Amino acid sequence: MRTPRAFSIIVLLLGLALLPVPAGAVDLKDMVLDPGGLKPVDSTLKVRPGDKAPEFTLPGVLLGQGGKRLVHLSDYRGRKNVMLTFVPAAFTPVCSDQWPGYNLAKNLFDEYDTQVLGISTDNLPSLYAWAMEMRGLWFPVLSDFWPHGAVAQTYGVLRSEGTAERAIVIIDKRGVVRFARSFNINTRPDLGLIMGELHKLEEEQNALPAAPGRP
Amino acid sequence: MNTSGTTSLRTLGLAFCLALGITLGLALAAASVMAAEQNAAPKVGDVLPDLPVTARLTPAEAAFLGLPANAPSFRLSQIKARVLLVEVFSMYCPRCQAAAPAVNRLHERLAASPQARELRFVALGAGNTPFEVDFYRQKYRTPMPLLPDEDYSLHKAFRAVGTPAFFVLQALPGGRGLKVLLFHEGQPKDEDAFFAQVLAAAKP
Repeated sequence: MRTPRAFSIIVLLLGLALLPVPAGAVDLKDMVLDPGGLKPVDSTLKVRPGDKAPEFTLPGVLLGQGGKRLVHLSDYRGRKNVMLTFVPAAFTPVCSDQWPGYNLAKNLFDEYDTQVLGISTDNLPSLYAWAMEMRGLWFPVLSDFWPHGAVAQTYGVLRSEGTAERAIVIIDKRGVVRFARSFNINTRPDLGLIMGELHKLEEEQNALPAAPGRP
Repeated sequence: MNTSGTTSLRTLGLAFCLALGITLGLALAAASVMAAEQNAAPKVGDVLPDLPVTARLTPAEAAFLGLPANAPSFRLSQIKARVLLVEVFSMYCPRCQAAAPAVNRLHERLAASPQARELRFVALGAGNTPFEVDFYRQKYRTPMPLLPDEDYSLHKAFRAVGTPAFFVLQALPGGRGLKVLLFHEGQPKDEDAFFAQVLAAAKP
């Protein structure tokens, strides 16, 4: 009576044994953890166009320019527009693509006199390794690790699991927020949309009356 | 009678368990093999779906591909060529950016080769919007048509390959799909060798 039962279990196990086993070779794309589909947005923005952008100071890495340094948002006041690009995490599929795209588009950001600042809640060593893996970036990558996600929290882009949203905040030279949006974390924001916003900002800045005494 | 009846019931039950075990095991194996095939790297001889591409072609691109100007969408099989070289790239992919000059050189060499008339080269921007594809074109002065695949539909149909990836494809008659003649994932290390590989795969 026991033999047939045992036999059926063996057959079942044999069937399961036919399941394919992952190959030994590791492909580069297989080295990135795919988090699967995540809740598109998991926080509520606390800044809106017209608001004064909350000031912050964060440690960052800027490859080729002395490595670690502190970056203050006010460093750019009166000199450059600033685009904050919050991303969820280093070494994840969509994030690993997004900043290399901004790296390639440096001339477009330059055209609009805009400094990009990348921000994530990862710690600095991870961000450094990630920036190296992305073959270097022209803009600083800032670590909002400790107090954990404090800047993301201030801007209303900290998700409940401790990562940042995939958010873009554009701040003009006076330190005023001109655009703020948390995009679907699972997809990249269209570069065309970002450039459209920067173009709008430039047109508005050009339309402002010249400062007294300016030639 | 009772003992005999109980025994046959038990035998019947065990036979049922056995049949269920075999069926479940084989069904699981078959399903996993099918899933593995859909996710596996493409190989020579595989047939990929020939999905519609939505792209605004310039008149020069439409002429190069033998497609009607201003067509809102088309299928790769409609391109007037015996074989196609397709690069799957992304504006955002640093490896694609690094490979771009070599890919341009590959296009120039193919255009000057004896098989130029039978072969057309296009690149699919996986997850790229029309703006992003245009920006990449301007940045690298890419000579071949770049086609946006904004929703990744073609990328998925091409087994979600890592970028850059290169296919030599031949459209099967009757809309039966695109047969893989060559597949290469990653930046080709040796430009000469890869050029020769593409020509060999595209040979009639």
